[in-house]
Amino acid sequence: MECALDAQSLISISLRKIHSSRTQRGGIKLHKNLLVSYVLRNARQLYLSERYAELYRRQQQQQQQQPPHHQHQHLAYAAPGMPASAADFGPLQLGGGGDAEAREPVARHQLHQLHQLHQLHLQQQLHQHQHPAPRGCAAAAAGAPAGGAGALSELPGCAALQPPHGAPHRGQPLEPLQPGPAPLPPPAPTALCPRDPRASAACSAPSAPPGAAPQAATAASPPASPAPASSPGFYRGAYPAPSDFGVHCSSQTTVLDLDTHVVTTVENGYLHQDCCASAHCPCCGQGAPGPGLASAAGCKRKYYPGQEEEDDDDEDAGDLGAEPPGGVPFAPCKRARFEDFCPDSSPDASNISNLISIFGSGFSGLVSRQPDSSEQPPPLNGQLCAKQALASLGAWTRAIVAF
Amino acid sequence: MAGAGGGGCPAGGNDLQWCFSQVKGAVDEDVAEADVISTVEFSHSGDLLATGDKGGRVVIFQREQENKSRPHSRGEYNVYSTFQSHEPEFDYLKSLEIEEKINKIRWLPRQSAARFLLSTNDKTIKLWKISERDKRAEGCNLQDEDGRLRDPSSVTALRVPILKPMDLMVEANPRRIFANAHTYHINSISVNSDHETYLSADDLRINLWHLEITDRSFNIVDIKPANMEELTEVITAAEFHPHQCNVLVYSSSKGTIRLCDMRSSALCDRHSKFFEEPEDPSSRSFFSEIISSVSDVKFSHSGRYMMTRDYLSVKVWDLNMESRPVETHQVHEYLRSKLCSLYENDCIFDKFECCWNGCDSAIMTGSYNNFFRMFDRTTWRDVTLEASRENSKPRASLKPRRVCAGGKRKKDEVSVDSLDFSKKILHTAWHPAENIIAVAATNNLYIFQDKAN
Repeated sequence: MECALDAQSLISISLRKIHSSRTQRGGIKLHKNLLVSYVLRNARQLYLSERYAELYRRQQQQQQQQPPHHQHQHLAYAAPGMPASAADFGPLQLGGGGDAEAREPVARHQLHQLHQLHQLHLQQQLHQHQHPAPRGCAAAAAGAPAGGAGALSELPGCAALQPPHGAPHRGQPLEPLQPGPAPLPPPAPTALCPRDPRASAACSAPSAPPGAAPQAATAASPPASPAPASSPGFYRGAYPAPSDFGVHCSSQTTVLDLDTHVVTTVENGYLHQDCCASAHCPCCGQGAPGPGLASAAGCKRKYYPGQEEEDDDDEDAGDLGAEPPGGVPFAPCKRARFEDFCPDSSPDASNISNLISIFGSGFSGLVSRQPDSSEQPPPLNGQLCAKQALASLGAWTRAIVAF
Repeated sequence: MAGAGGGGCPAGGNDLQWCFSQVKGAVDEDVAEADVISTVEFSHSGDLLATGDKGGRVVIFQREQENKSRPHSRGEYNVYSTFQSHEPEFDYLKSLEIEEKINKIRWLPRQSAARFLLSTNDKTIKLWKISERDKRAEGCNLQDEDGRLRDPSSVTALRVPILKPMDLMVEANPRRIFANAHTYHINSISVNSDHETYLSADDLRINLWHLEITDRSFNIVDIKPANMEELTEVITAAEFHPHQCNVLVYSSSKGTIRLCDMRSSALCDRHSKFFEEPEDPSSRSFFSEIISSVSDVKFSHSGRYMMTRDYLSVKVWDLNMESRPVETHQVHEYLRSKLCSLYENDCIFDKFECCWNGCDSAIMTGSYNNFFRMFDRTTWRDVTLEASRENSKPRASLKPRRVCAGGKRKKDEVSVDSLDFSKKILHTAWHPAENIIAVAATNNLYIFQDKAN
């Protein structure tokens, strides 16, 4: 009867509940989903605080080895001394770019999209650079690994499944994982992995229009029963350490526009939009206002037909996938299907951090319970930006109340 | 200690011995989802007992008159009327199915020979009139005995129809349908003491209705935030004060209760009283919010107290003291260490109800493994009883049960790990005047009585 009070397993279970509630008879139960979001928040807090402490420790180790400019990034992201309770989103979020500044609400959703795809970027980085990819909150990303560089990214749900370190093709060993128990794969994303990204409501709820969720959800295979948390206690550092945030600033960025279904890889960009939203983003060095990607070289992804989803955009979709309101030009590409997706690896628990970011705030009223982090001056890290961005992203809650 | 706990008004402080009286429902192991009882309610006099199930049906039992020649029957409850109250519906606009499950039944005070009750599902409330017909007219002029109309021109003589007795027929007719007033799922209805109005509460709003008017309702509480992303709590239950027709309370998912006075303003968003017990920080866990959510709130019959049920306890509040409850009774504290598993299997979301006895000296609520608990407020004794077919011999006494939380399990104790969490007693009801209780165990309705007399 006892189950390990593992933050990650709780998060995955919670997400699965939210997902399955969409297909339940009688419509979404607001009360139950609200309670589940509380559990999510609690688990996320604990998980992030632990993760944060872990990362900080790694930061300290790495600072001695990194070149100075990277070190700057590290310092920015490390934000040492952050109280654990306030570590809602730290360097775990948007690894790259100093997208710490407050976002305009307009850009938040876009940031979120990028967050979701960040993992894809991470994979690429792993492939191309000898650095461990920064951990992003991009639940979606994971596009690259399966197919290599040309891989296409799917929506968060699938991406989240991709263990950054587990994919055999990567060839790049990530930073050695903390010795620890095996990661617990979140079952819901696994089950949804090969499906239509829209179906991965659990993972991509914030981005997917709620209207799509029920249909897609029914298409998704039933979530696999959760692997019992084999890890006693808390899961520590099973992630590749995204400690090298500086890498992000000089490498590729892949973005999936969930609205136009376009994937763009930007050669020299950060996950920019919010990073550059305010004028003082150190990493990008530009005061590019507004959302949008730093558009150095953008290359288009392959487009796989048949991937087109019914665009069940309800009113929320407009928020999520809107065109970047000006700013850096954004080259849309066709959305691509992530083929050979989700290979042997079940979703790595490490990707939970991506999922956390999506569902992390849930109802922003929950986030508002952590006043300490919001009062701090925005450090040059992803913390505040991500926090604010995610705090306002309640798309999945909109899904709940869409009826 | 046998039979402690619970006392109807007549028995006073004597220890009671609860005995099995009846059980209604199928014996099959395979329980059809539609047969699961979802609400139980005695009428104001206690002679009628209504149940609603997930299939949208209402079954009303009537207590038989005590028959001197059959002293053992002692007023058994037998089926009086059965009707389909709600049907599944489909909201085409939102592509949502509306469940037909009966969430609540509330009787109206009796004002005539007919009986009235309100039944509600997630979206629609219906007022049903249950009336008896035991006579029929014979010798009508304008229609045949079988009801076919006669041609008036063929009638040559008139006669006065005669009323003849017939087998009792109980009819249920929907007299009012109160629809389209709730965006979210209705969780409560409560008839006002003025017998003219009633409230219906969903997750975010409470509406006030007049029993005669179906096309209009007044919103009196609205806690929906402007931005749904800022939602932090929902309404979980609401009830009118039993005597003061301007007072109502509603509980929230955060474990707080608000008392509102409708005289103060048209919209009762600002409460008059706010009942909250400070959280014990040492017991904080992942699931603190879930287990503090109030699943039921009930005024005492006197109107001076109210009782709230959260996941692990029942609390009695004095309406004059907002800072903390006057009594807290642990229902199944041994589950506190199992919350994670209960979260996984969704049991932590179960909404248990609670009820008072007629003189407010005892309270009752359900638990798992078909256990239910009674707390005597005067003697501060509590007892755990079980509703099971094994204890179903007529007038068999119920043996108190014990749950062993850990360590060595004594004989006759049930260990926590062997509890059957699929057998949950969510709905119980206590006769308003006597020591008769109705306990819904999934698809079976158990009726227990005390052995007094």
